[in-house]
Amino acid sequence: MSLLEIQNLGIDIRVNGLTNRLLHEVSLQINSGESVALVGESGSGKSLTARAVLGLLPAHATTHGSINLDGTEILGASKAALRQVRRTTAAMVFQDPRSSINPVRTLGAHLIEPMLQVPGSNRAELEARAVGLLGSMGLSNPEARMKQYPHELSGGMLQRVMIAGALMNDPQLLICDESTTALDVTTQAAVMELLSTAVRERDMGMLFITHDLALAASIADRTYVLRRGEVQEAGDTRQIFTAPTADYTKKLIASTPSMRSGPAAGVHTLPSTEGAELVLKVENAFKTYHPSGQPAVKAVQDVSISIPAGGGLAIVGESGSGKSTLGRIVAGLEEQDEGTMTVAGGQIETGSAKERRLARASRVQMVFQDPYQSLDSRITPAKALERVLKLHYKLDAKAMKARISELLASVGLEEKHANLLPRKLSGGQRQRVAIAKAMALNPRLLVLDEATSALDVSVQAKVLELVNKLRRENGVAVLFISHDLGIVGEICDELVVVQHGRIVESGPTGQVLNHPAHEYTKSLLASVPRPRWAKDEPVREPADNNSY
Amino acid sequence: MAQSNLATALPPARARADKESTLLANLKMIAMKLFGFVFTVFISSVIVFFSRWLVPGDPINFLLRGRSPNPEAIAEVTAIYGLDKPPLEQYWHWITGVLQGDFGRSLQYRQDVTDVILDRLPVTLGLVVMAGLMIAVLGLAAGIAAALFRGSWIDRGIIAGMSALAAIPSFVGAIVLIAIFSIQLGMFPSFGSGEGFGDMIYHLVLPSLALALSFIAVVGRVTRSAMMEEFSREHVEVARSRGITEVAVVFRHVLRNSLGPIMTVSGLLVAGLLVSSAIVEQAFGLAGLGSLLVSSVDRLDFPVVQAIVLIVVTAFVAINTLVDLLGPVVDPRLKAGKGAR
Repeated sequence: MSLLEIQNLGIDIRVNGLTNRLLHEVSLQINSGESVALVGESGSGKSLTARAVLGLLPAHATTHGSINLDGTEILGASKAALRQVRRTTAAMVFQDPRSSINPVRTLGAHLIEPMLQVPGSNRAELEARAVGLLGSMGLSNPEARMKQYPHELSGGMLQRVMIAGALMNDPQLLICDESTTALDVTTQAAVMELLSTAVRERDMGMLFITHDLALAASIADRTYVLRRGEVQEAGDTRQIFTAPTADYTKKLIASTPSMRSGPAAGVHTLPSTEGAELVLKVENAFKTYHPSGQPAVKAVQDVSISIPAGGGLAIVGESGSGKSTLGRIVAGLEEQDEGTMTVAGGQIETGSAKERRLARASRVQMVFQDPYQSLDSRITPAKALERVLKLHYKLDAKAMKARISELLASVGLEEKHANLLPRKLSGGQRQRVAIAKAMALNPRLLVLDEATSALDVSVQAKVLELVNKLRRENGVAVLFISHDLGIVGEICDELVVVQHGRIVESGPTGQVLNHPAHEYTKSLLASVPRPRWAKDEPVREPADNNSY
Repeated sequence: MAQSNLATALPPARARADKESTLLANLKMIAMKLFGFVFTVFISSVIVFFSRWLVPGDPINFLLRGRSPNPEAIAEVTAIYGLDKPPLEQYWHWITGVLQGDFGRSLQYRQDVTDVILDRLPVTLGLVVMAGLMIAVLGLAAGIAAALFRGSWIDRGIIAGMSALAAIPSFVGAIVLIAIFSIQLGMFPSFGSGEGFGDMIYHLVLPSLALALSFIAVVGRVTRSAMMEEFSREHVEVARSRGITEVAVVFRHVLRNSLGPIMTVSGLLVAGLLVSSAIVEQAFGLAGLGSLLVSSVDRLDFPVVQAIVLIVVTAFVAINTLVDLLGPVVDPRLKAGKGAR
């Protein structure tokens, strides 16, 4: 008997009288000591499956099939039985540690709360165990941490606290739902290390849910690929990733730059920009923030970058490296303290504040990370484009309509999308609308701030393709800000790596990725998840591993 | 490969320095809030005092009502009440007196204002405190119940009931309560404030309820919406996923986190409570500050009006300063010197 045995699990949900099938006949097994990955894109039902294991079902859901966890049937279990399972048998680590821990209670209270409710528990004993676990999670000063509040710790440290909390009751099954997605790449590597150590030492079973195929390959013995609530493919992880049989798996792998290998996946090449005029020239820029009551934050220190017309420059760094501040300075949303910046030839100095703002907007446009938040939920794409165009051009109704259609077509949207509210559009479609808005003024430079991070891999691939098409056809230069080393090669010829507001390394993308010179770049590259079976191979040699 | 440096804490010396600076920042924050309190009350005292010159009617005429306007008598009374001095000097005289508990003399009672007010204060204080307790207990209970059974008929019933309550002016509520509980059922007296402490409480039950009704609705709705928002937070689901009982989830993770907005709104409600108390006192024939204020305005008894308005404003500002000071206790992210990251 497996530790977890899910058989023909189906979940339906009734909304406004309509029944939606969220899971179709999902079967999944996990044995003690086995790590199993469940991969899929958003809406595939992977989180739903994970929550169902703990009996956390959405309201108005009906289920059929069976979930047997260590001898307990979860579906239809009593509240008391579910509490028992959640306290002793299985524990879950969620995606965003910052929103997973109650912000107004201490970490100590978070850690011991469930076990404290078990009759006969002893607070002092539990506290001692919590301190021990915090220590084993690599947190220094664990006693002091117990009295701290979540906002006093970084995201990586909080996720360690979450894992400690999950291990408090020695569960037999650890469920990780995108547990490292919100973390920086080096932090992710450290947390993954912790997770695999914990699973190995305690001989736990692990259900690892992720959208990141490379991450799944780095930890799981077996993998299930889920799409729209159905298992597409299941089996040995290496087998699935090296010789996928389902079309969907093949497509997913093809969309994940870091899973590809071989010469075909070399650095993206575009027409040479040698000798072209510069559209962006930033020299010795500095920016320091002075939050009240806190030490000054040197977000940008002595940074110089330049991009030729039609060029692509990637800025890579972890959170807090100042990469977004730099992007905001280039887009004119922030002013640098020191240094000079020239955008598309000539500084913008003359005219009223409004004229300067418009002049800058017509040269540089920015696309933000989350299209769910960057679009006004009450405004249709056509209306949004019309507003941007009206601000800058005098177009008659017919010309306006034609221009809007042209813009929507250029980002791969159809007429029927023009008058839909954002909530009717998918994430990828929304980001296309955001890009269309940015392209409406024919800017010379497009700043993409993590513009694909919130998207599914297959959607991300299409959006990157779109950006490349715009570069080719409109000659727009791109400043691509990202934490993901895996995708910068897709789009940028030049790369700068920033840490603590300073550029630590720069050069052609292929050269930096294949021959990193700076320690920080090396550690970033080493932190990119790699399949287990590749672990013993040497790190990224240009000859045999050209996946960037 | 594990980035252990990411998890290292501050060295002890820096941690200690941090602790000291946090303490200092806390003291600084408290000092700032108290300064704000004193400053607001000072500005209010200026407005309260000088607004007398904006009101039509001369207090002298009231004092001499029914008597022949003999110039000498006018001059004498003017001198007694200090009305011949320049306004700034009058203010100085008044405010220094107030700081020593002397609000001047009432024109209509020919007594010290302080004595007049102290006579009436217990009734109003009892009324407001009892209403406050009812608002806190019933408002929170209604909000918690609605949030717990969100979407069900209990929730809908509570919302409908609260909307109706919020729409009832307190004088109408007073009449309805009197009609039901004193005339029909004869459970509570409908008039006066009784003798002695216990009797006063008994006499104040209906007035407090009449005063509290619409505020119960406001607090109930704020509680419900704050809790609904908190229910949708991920940490609540995490708490459930860890086998924490639903009662603990509701009280420790949902209600506890909703206290901030509930407290802020409650603090602001105090102003309305003090104002409405005047109406309720009138309806129930209570000799409190509210009815005193109404009759004093009527008779241009400006020393009494000024004193009551200043007391009410001070009470309002004091309660909101207290709410502000409690903010960081309720939500540690608000602590001075630490941004919520």
